[in-house]
Amino acid sequence: MKKLVVLFVVLSFAILFNACGKKAAKVAPVREPVVEKVEEPVTQVEKPVLSEEEIYQQKTIEELNKDQILKKINFDFDRYQIREDMKPILQDNANWMLKFASVNVLIEGHCDERGTIEYNIALGEKRAEAAKNYLASLGAKVANIKIVSYGKSKPLVQGVDEATYFQNRRAEFVITKK
Amino acid sequence: MKIKPTQQSCEVPYGGIRALDSKFKICSKKLTNFRICYKALMILAALALFASALLSGQEEITIRIKEGMPMIPVALPEFQFAETSLPNNEIKNMIYETLWKDLEFSRVFKLVPREHYSYISRFDPGAINFKDWASIQANILISGQLETTADERIIFSIKVYEVNSARFVFGRNFGGKKDLSRMIAHRVADEMMKHFGEKPLFTSKIVYVSETDAGQEVYIMDYDGFRPTRITFNNYIDILPSWSADSEKIIYTAYRRLNPDLYMFDIYSGKTEMLSAGGVNYAADWSPNAEQIVYTSSKDGNTEIYLRDMKTGQEKRLTFNPAIDTSPCWSPNGREIAFTSQRNGTPQIYVMDAEGSNIRRITTEGSYHDSAAWSPDGMRIAYVSRIEGRFDIYVYNLKSNSIIKLTENAGRNENPSWSPDARHLVFSSNRNGRYQLYLMDYDGRNVRQITSAGENKMPKWQKLYK
Repeated sequence: MKKLVVLFVVLSFAILFNACGKKAAKVAPVREPVVEKVEEPVTQVEKPVLSEEEIYQQKTIEELNKDQILKKINFDFDRYQIREDMKPILQDNANWMLKFASVNVLIEGHCDERGTIEYNIALGEKRAEAAKNYLASLGAKVANIKIVSYGKSKPLVQGVDEATYFQNRRAEFVITKK
Repeated sequence: MKIKPTQQSCEVPYGGIRALDSKFKICSKKLTNFRICYKALMILAALALFASALLSGQEEITIRIKEGMPMIPVALPEFQFAETSLPNNEIKNMIYETLWKDLEFSRVFKLVPREHYSYISRFDPGAINFKDWASIQANILISGQLETTADERIIFSIKVYEVNSARFVFGRNFGGKKDLSRMIAHRVADEMMKHFGEKPLFTSKIVYVSETDAGQEVYIMDYDGFRPTRITFNNYIDILPSWSADSEKIIYTAYRRLNPDLYMFDIYSGKTEMLSAGGVNYAADWSPNAEQIVYTSSKDGNTEIYLRDMKTGQEKRLTFNPAIDTSPCWSPNGREIAFTSQRNGTPQIYVMDAEGSNIRRITTEGSYHDSAAWSPDGMRIAYVSRIEGRFDIYVYNLKSNSIIKLTENAGRNENPSWSPDARHLVFSSNRNGRYQLYLMDYDGRNVRQITSAGENKMPKWQKLYK
């Protein structure tokens, strides 16, 4: 059977070449064999997508923090001003905090290792403060926000390149009360 | 030649942390009268100082640093055992090596190399041939004798001679439990310093933060890195400890209650007291007159420098600036405070009067300076600069208005702190991987590593104001 197929292909090529004459060889479009899909009817087994409210209700504070419901933001080297690209993240955080107005949040300011211990504590404080003020400007309740600076004592990742440093220059938003 | 020994006897009580105040608590029995006299003298001296300060506001308290002065050549022949002693070579060698290293470190004394001792006749404490010792350039000769007893106690005696005049200079006996042998050696070195008009420093301590798997905790150790004692056991992050002026308390910052606050630990009672609440609170420095501290706090919403009266608890804010103000440090005369401020865009070192007025900038070049440490002789300010990502220690000389760089091409170097005699600095560096503590001289020479376990940083040398 195989031999027959090979023969057929070779023959058909020969005919094709003859037909085309001196023109450049053209490959005939190969028709894909038609395969019929066999599918079982889908039964709904995936977990239902929880709404924000359901997540908030069902999860503990630890789980919410672990899932980073409130996302962290990063800063430029030696600076504590909010970067433009971090503003949408803060907007999301503020929206969430407005929705669940009873939550208390601790903003942790962190720095990379390229600063002195003392100055980094001040810088981390300024970063946390800047994040707090921005959230407040979006309507978040200031009374529910506390800040703390860890300076460079709690790096998120270890390393000596800019990508590492960027990840470590951050403000984290930790839910402390629901 | 007649030698008239004027020996004094001292008892070294069992130590640990209580042995800290070695200068005053050792010899407690025999020196009671002396202590009263000493106190009276101190009061008189304080009154005199006060009077002179009243007469002239410009008067400075200065400690001499004999820069460029030749060091005194000292010979330290092998110690002898007393006739009745058990021959404990381990202790004998430990005292010998510790004393040798102390004197070598001092920059006051210079040790005649040991191999030169073999050129001359063997040392005999009963019949010293001073001409021999003069021939190998020794000016001072220390003769030591050790007696160890069956009850684990030792008595170590020294006799110090001036070689050229073949004269007995002074002698001391130190007694104590054998685990205090290192401290006895440091006491001998301190006696040498005092006798030659220098400030003692070898019994001084260093407080620092050690990071192990258990977290960051505060420790105290001897100046040479031996005998570390842990003083915090709270499993929080503990940082930036500093000494009180009387060396009896340590103020540090702990992240309890999710907030960095100042805590004061009393070394003698073991009690801890919280000093602040709200905002970050750190970098406390005790005033030389022991009445106030300056520290950094953000309790009013921005990191500023505050002055706190330790008796009344009253506080005064010294800086009023939307920028970062931090890392305050007293001048040794208590009239000025060096600090870091970012008020002109980048962190720079400034000096202000202790009332917060008359602010002037010290660092003019570079874009990142912090951790100012004013030398106890008032002459220099050490600080950390970051240049092209490197952290190095610099010293600003207030007299000559010049700056010298002390560390180079050796990792990050941080948190300099001066020795009580202003000749040395302790600092942290990651030059060999993890952060460890190092000592070096005021001119950057004689760097030596003094810690090796875990990670160690934020050292502060005891101040010994009294």
